[in-house]
Amino acid sequence: MECAFAITGKDFVLIASDMSAGRSIIQMKSNENKITPVGPNLAMACGGEPGDTSRFADYVDRNLRLYHIRNNFPLPPPSAASWVRRILAESIRSRSPYAVNVLLGGFDTTTSKPHLYWLDYLGTKADIPYAAQGVGMYVTLSTMDKWWYENIERREALDVLNKCVDEVKKRVTIKFDFNCVLIDKDGVHSLDLKSQDPIAELEAKVAAMKPSDPEPIIPSSDAPAIAAA
Amino acid sequence: MEYNGGSVVAMIGKDCVAIASDLRLGQQSVGVAMNFDKVFPVNDKLYYGLPGLATDVYTLREQLRFRVNMYRMKEEREITPKTFTHLVSSTLYEKRFGPYFIEPVVAGLPSPTELDPHPKPFISTMDTIGCITTPKDFAVAGTASNKLFGVAEGLWEPDLEPEDLFETISQTLLNAVDRDALSGWGAIVHVITHDKVITRQLRARMD
Amino acid sequence: MTLLAQSPMSLHDTYAAPVEHRFNPYSENGGTILAIAGADFSVIAGDTRQSEGYSIQTRYARKVFQLTDNAVLATNGFAADGKNFVRRLKQSLEWYQHNHHKQMGLKAIARLIQTMLYGRRFFPYYVYNILGGIEEDGSGAVYSFDPVGSYEREACRAAGAAQALVQPFLDNQIYFKNQQPEPGAEPFVPGRLPLSTVLGLVVDSFTSATERHIEVGDGIEIFIVMAKGRSPESLLDEKLGEGMTIEEVPPVGEGGEERTFLLSGPLKRD
Repeated sequence: MECAFAITGKDFVLIASDMSAGRSIIQMKSNENKITPVGPNLAMACGGEPGDTSRFADYVDRNLRLYHIRNNFPLPPPSAASWVRRILAESIRSRSPYAVNVLLGGFDTTTSKPHLYWLDYLGTKADIPYAAQGVGMYVTLSTMDKWWYENIERREALDVLNKCVDEVKKRVTIKFDFNCVLIDKDGVHSLDLKSQDPIAELEAKVAAMKPSDPEPIIPSSDAPAIAAA
Repeated sequence: MEYNGGSVVAMIGKDCVAIASDLRLGQQSVGVAMNFDKVFPVNDKLYYGLPGLATDVYTLREQLRFRVNMYRMKEEREITPKTFTHLVSSTLYEKRFGPYFIEPVVAGLPSPTELDPHPKPFISTMDTIGCITTPKDFAVAGTASNKLFGVAEGLWEPDLEPEDLFETISQTLLNAVDRDALSGWGAIVHVITHDKVITRQLRARMD
Repeated sequence: MTLLAQSPMSLHDTYAAPVEHRFNPYSENGGTILAIAGADFSVIAGDTRQSEGYSIQTRYARKVFQLTDNAVLATNGFAADGKNFVRRLKQSLEWYQHNHHKQMGLKAIARLIQTMLYGRRFFPYYVYNILGGIEEDGSGAVYSFDPVGSYEREACRAAGAAQALVQPFLDNQIYFKNQQPEPGAEPFVPGRLPLSTVLGLVVDSFTSATERHIEVGDGIEIFIVMAKGRSPESLLDEKLGEGMTIEEVPPVGEGGEERTFLLSGPLKRD
């Protein structure tokens, strides 16, 4: 039982995912991060069979990193999505398929456009402005249908995202905690949904970091995982 | 087939063919995307539609793109609709005992040759393992296929001009998918004539 | 020791668990029916093939029945239930005539059908009914039912084996779905088409269904109920299709001013 959703805006993508890990009715962890950055401007939320999800996220991450190292240029989001889709499509007809559903969000720095892909374990791919997966699909899709609009700004998009979180808390019987990332031209940033103004915090952080600390061309392999909320 | 939903229809006109599809991608009863095109071009005289399991739509499209490009490079000419139909058919039959869940529809205008200076417009359709049918009127496939059969049988007539063919195929598709829960959410139509391809997105019911 | 030894496997088969044989009281006999309402007439039609699985039981079995001078019922699904239902319904209508010395109105017949169907809620008549005729206000009407009695008044309805083929066609041609009038032209109003157009659509619907559905074919029977004051000339002058015949159906009661006609003919045989 998991729940993830994502929203694209004018020049960014927001991805939120629950952080619960457990088996059947027992929850063993409430701060498991399920959103993996898989490139300088690319992140992926994985749901599905617990073991498969982390293996798959790792596999994608390392292959995309290899591409980045070999070509000194990261694979842009549309191509990355096609690649991930192919892995899943080949996997479903193999002897040990990955049971993984993916939301892949990224910012294409070459065209300055945000991208969001909805992928399921069969290798189905949809290129859509907002998406949801898992049990939250039944309540958050309608929320996003109502509130999302084209070229939505960051704060408004975050409001929509919070509306979705509230809806899940209100309508889904399982208790979820969420973490969230924002992907834009500067990279993948984690957002603290509990803070008063996460966007202001993010802007401050980016402003403080930029002049002295330029983005590394190749992200280091042991870059800290996104902080659990 | 019923997992993602979706339907395709193709029709023959007078020196033209048309092919159209809905735009829905679903996961059973939940609608996921309303921009999922199922009709793809091979060249400007030949289009094909792939309704069925969405993952196989992509896989088969990539496979066919590869094979058509290989054909183009080896033969140094464009593939004809008939040859392409057989290419699709053998691609499907390769997976005879673990098939792609797709029922393709092909629509094209063969170019005139010395042997055949006035070729007829061509449509064809296949089952999931590549058994070919080449109808003289129209071909349908997908979750609304029975509805498409009914409406097309009532509306279609021989030798329609491009604009009339467009109206006929559009009305056929829209009215059929409106009675199908798994198809709809927008529609796209391509009318192929000798000098151009007319592509139009239709305004449809979005429920 | 041998006495206690296990009996051989072959013996066990004799004591295999009893196999349950259950009687299935229902069957599905194919065919298609359809009805369209006009301003002052109503058209109720059905094909005449009756089948079970891939076998044709008969090429002529009636599915459309005249109930009163202004009501005709088409029934489709399980033929035995259909026949029995119509028999009981006619009986009820006869009782009504004797008690009230008048024929039951169309609206009341519709409600009666609901009551009869719902009365068998837990062992239903496996029948889809379409009732067509003239309402007391003189307008053409169509009522469609499900097997347990949900019903609705509509401008048109198709049911049976080829419902999926015919209904979207009628949506388009009768309800004008996905069609817009030319700018400045009269808006489309369903249920106002002239009789000749409606008859054309009915015949087209059945030829289409015959072409694409194996359970539809052989013959077609079209009942036309005309309201008071409508001249049947338009119908009798009509150029009939190939092999089609037309006859007037005699009134059930003393005969009001409504008139019922039966148009019948063969369906394509290839």
